[in-house]
Amino acid sequence: MARIAGVNIPTAKRVPIALTYITGIGPAIAHQICEATKIDEQRRVNDLSDAEVLAIREYIDANLTVEGDLRRETTMNIKRLMDLGCYRGLRHRRNLPVRGQRTHTNARTRKGPAKAIAGKKK
Amino acid sequence: MARSVWKGPFVDAYVLKKAEASREGGRSEVIKIWSRRSTILPQFVGLTFGVYNGKKHIPVNVTEDMIGQKFGEYSPTRTYYGHAADKKAKRK
Repeated sequence: MARIAGVNIPTAKRVPIALTYITGIGPAIAHQICEATKIDEQRRVNDLSDAEVLAIREYIDANLTVEGDLRRETTMNIKRLMDLGCYRGLRHRRNLPVRGQRTHTNARTRKGPAKAIAGKKK
Repeated sequence: MARSVWKGPFVDAYVLKKAEASREGGRSEVIKIWSRRSTILPQFVGLTFGVYNGKKHIPVNVTEDMIGQKFGEYSPTRTYYGHAADKKAKRK
């Protein structure tokens, strides 16, 4: 069991796959970590030596923002937009799509499940 | 696609002129502009612009965070009071 970047305990998977369990690390960055720490991508987490785990941990600490810090950063960015009173902020406040998508239909990711409208029948 | 850097930020010339005039005049009054497409430049910080939204000029106090965005972003063009059904649902 390996603890990297706080609470994350990836499993008996290949190293780059296991690393993607950390918020803020996707396949591309996981690959980059393996390259920087010279770890073969075919190896699994449970056969890494302590030194190698430490190298990964240090690389993440030095170069990346992950987990709580990253989440905080994103929420701060959204909060900044909302406080500014700009269009993007207004869209965030109303939970509507921010980047100009249509809202006549779709936009369900932002709006949540469809609400039934009284008196609307075919 | 983002704008080429070599062009510099886009600002309508009259906005610059008006901003400069009010800077020199000292009196901070709402500077009425119609140019929603102009970029907010660092030298506009602290000034108040009345950005036209198609109906009236919305006063926008420029702060540091706004630099690099457009004036139009601060002057919403649509009014939406929600649907009657939504309001009824909320009251319950």
